[in-house]
Amino acid sequence: MSDVKDILEWDIDGTSKAPTKEQETVSVVSKEEIIAGSEKRPKPKKSNEAIFKRPEGMHREVYALLYSDKKDPPPLIPTDTQQGYKRMKAKLGRCCVRPWKWMPFTNPARKDGAIFYHWRRAAEEGKDYPFAKFNKTIQVPKYTDQEYQLHLHDEKWSRSATDHLFELCERFDARWIVIEDRFDHLSHGKRSVEDIKDRYYTIVNKLSKVRSDPNLSNRAQQMYDAEHERKRKAQLNRLFNRTTEQVEEEEMLIQELKRIEFRKKEREKKAQDLQKLITAADNSSDLRRTERKITKKKLPITLSRKKDQDGNMKQIPETGGIKFPDMKQSGVYLRSQKMKLPSSVGQKKTKAIEHLLDELGIPIQPMPTDEICQLYNDLRSDMVLLYELKLAHANCEFEMQTLRHRFDALAPGKLPSTSILTPASLASLAKPSDKVEDKSESATPPEAPSSPSKVKKITEIIDVVATTPQSPAITVTPQRKRRQAAVEQANLMKKIKK
Amino acid sequence: MSGGVYGGDEVNALVFDVGSFSVRAGYAGEDSPKADFPTVVGVMENKDEESMEVDGTPSTSIKDSAEKKYIHDTTSLLYPREHMEIGHPLKDGMIEDWDMFESTLNHIYKRHIQSDSSLHPVLMSEPPWNVRIKREKLTELLFEKYNIPAFFLSKNAVLTAFANSRATGLVIDSGASHTTAVPIHEGYCLQHAIMKSPLGGDFITKQAKNFLASQKIDILPPTFIASRETVKEGQAPIFKRKEFAKGVTQSWQDYMINTQIQDFQASVLQVSDVPYEEEIIEQMPAAPYEFATGYNLEFGGERIQVAEGLFDPTVIKAPGLEPSTMLSMAHIATSSVHLCDVDIRSALLSNVIVTGGNSLLLGFTDRLQRDLSIKTPQNMKLKVIAPSAAAERRFSSWIGGSILASLGTFQQMWLSKQEYEEMGRGCVEKKCP
Repeated sequence: MSDVKDILEWDIDGTSKAPTKEQETVSVVSKEEIIAGSEKRPKPKKSNEAIFKRPEGMHREVYALLYSDKKDPPPLIPTDTQQGYKRMKAKLGRCCVRPWKWMPFTNPARKDGAIFYHWRRAAEEGKDYPFAKFNKTIQVPKYTDQEYQLHLHDEKWSRSATDHLFELCERFDARWIVIEDRFDHLSHGKRSVEDIKDRYYTIVNKLSKVRSDPNLSNRAQQMYDAEHERKRKAQLNRLFNRTTEQVEEEEMLIQELKRIEFRKKEREKKAQDLQKLITAADNSSDLRRTERKITKKKLPITLSRKKDQDGNMKQIPETGGIKFPDMKQSGVYLRSQKMKLPSSVGQKKTKAIEHLLDELGIPIQPMPTDEICQLYNDLRSDMVLLYELKLAHANCEFEMQTLRHRFDALAPGKLPSTSILTPASLASLAKPSDKVEDKSESATPPEAPSSPSKVKKITEIIDVVATTPQSPAITVTPQRKRRQAAVEQANLMKKIKK
Repeated sequence: MSGGVYGGDEVNALVFDVGSFSVRAGYAGEDSPKADFPTVVGVMENKDEESMEVDGTPSTSIKDSAEKKYIHDTTSLLYPREHMEIGHPLKDGMIEDWDMFESTLNHIYKRHIQSDSSLHPVLMSEPPWNVRIKREKLTELLFEKYNIPAFFLSKNAVLTAFANSRATGLVIDSGASHTTAVPIHEGYCLQHAIMKSPLGGDFITKQAKNFLASQKIDILPPTFIASRETVKEGQAPIFKRKEFAKGVTQSWQDYMINTQIQDFQASVLQVSDVPYEEEIIEQMPAAPYEFATGYNLEFGGERIQVAEGLFDPTVIKAPGLEPSTMLSMAHIATSSVHLCDVDIRSALLSNVIVTGGNSLLLGFTDRLQRDLSIKTPQNMKLKVIAPSAAAERRFSSWIGGSILASLGTFQQMWLSKQEYEEMGRGCVEKKCP
């Protein structure tokens, strides 16, 4: 029964008085309270029961048995809703509904004051029409007869045509393309958009100059260069009217250009690398000679001095070969550590070194006396340099060969017969010390130390040869390209077999 | 909600969009028209009054003048009536027969709007090439006869652009009587660059009719058939023809046959993605179609052949039509763009809006996109916008009008009755661009 009463919101306790206003507001749940969650809900105050105080001497447990149950009966089923059915009493709106009304209105943006009807909140009756503020128009200047006769006269434009133009400008808010479309070309002559704009801006500028009206003169002079516009449009037109073939051709040419430039760059870089290698070879051999003298003379030098020399050596431009690190760490170390190859030396090079050492009959781990250490390191450094030079040479030769073939294919019979360009002679230039492989080239002058100037010339030649055939290559038919590729392939195979 | 955030403001305006195939009418602010019925009108000489009652809807036929009676709307038109000729109030998209048009307006107000015309401002669409005399006559008719409070005339291509939320674009409207390409720049149509081609829905109907005649297929609308039997595919139909008590006119029979062909058109025809080639066509899946007579057949390559004329007019082999003078769909679009200023061409090409009932042919937009992309310069972006919903394409200009007339900022544009009384009929030329 009490539940029913509770649902109907009658007083559970019949004796209690009618709910006060305060209680009523409490029982009504507002939107905020629902959002805030149930925890924050103010709990209705319980009627003050006379709490039986624990008498002195009574055990707490006994007291709890007697009195706690009454206050808070243990729930039979665990539940998390505190109020259950009593909760739903939401009042979502904050205040009463605001009525809408079908009412007449006048639009201030209209000149005629026509009355239309629309739905609007009753509270907003009589207020301005909210959309009137969006009515924006541009200010088209007006001229008087006198002004026109004095300043604005133009041979090409009659007065009526000018009037027509200004009327259109006002109607279409200076949308030039629309104005040109609606312009009465029959009675006022054919005008382009540029003509129309030109006329308009000249008049506006003249008026602002002539008049002392601050509204107009304050405005910056509007520059309009009709001639420039015409040129621009003509160019745009030409761009628009390109055929697909033209566009494709242009794209192809641009790509070709990019490729040529890329190749040129690559070539230059290669030549530079080669140059570096060659100078390094020269330097190291020169250095060795001087160094040897120094070391022979100043054998009993102190450690500190030697270090100084090492510092000097560093100033010399980068050498090819191996750069052995200085032993800078403090403390004692084995001298054999000096002979350790630095990790920057690749596996291929290490292999090559081992192979060469084997050929020369030098043990891989010689006795590490000071001198041996030095010489051994130098030797290995030279070996690496040699290896690099050989590699570069092989590359160059291969390239020469392909270029020759390409040149031959493009212009058969026109190959320059100068001996300097034959790979054999070049080989003799690049590797003077290599006796094993160059037995057949013994006829060529053996005394050809790679003097930088001469090599440079060669690299220049290589460069020239490399870049020039690119331009005719554009016109090469795909078939021919294929043939070239085949030739190159064959060449490569030959090279490998060697 | 009266603020500027939500830009609508309701003034109970009506939107009428009279096309050459159907008339759309309804309240502004709604998403689809209340009324959509064929533009064609049944015309009867007004001799005897009893014949009105035959189909139980006497009010659809409105007595306008002493000697003629006009019949509107689908159901009434389909009913066979003695001496009912079929007439068309429009010619070339413009109103030609004002009596018929007036009776159409009466019909809309009486049957569909069912409200007093003096309470509602009216926004009407018009073809972009409408002439001044007709605009003024229309304005006069609506103000004088219907006593409307305000009026506005807008080009249907502009409304279509608005319906696709664009103020600039090239509207390709493939309707019943013709296909047009209209460039729109900032809400104004550029009248000098409009391109028109007579290749539209009616042309396709004619092509389909020729094709079916060449296949010796009898087209009869269901109204003409008393009973029929199911037959196997490709076999001669077995049916009984209904004999009408009173003679019906030839024009009505033609109309009925055309509606039948239009159904065939909508369910069978297709535009191929690539130009017509025999081998490709043969691989196309066939579409079955059953005619009202019970005759049924599967159509393979033919269904593409019929529609190909839209995109390649050289294949048209019809008597009376010169293929050389016709322009294909892509052609009218590109020529229209070429006629515009070079500065706005890229804006037009990136907003090509396809609309009109004929564009609902299967594959129409794909083919158009393909043909246009070939003709478009490579540095220009091409975008073809075509709403996928059929209703949106059929009613696009009505929807645009519905949007426009319910905008708060539009309410200043109306040509009000006061203005009309002050300035006379000529004001429509000034107020409605």
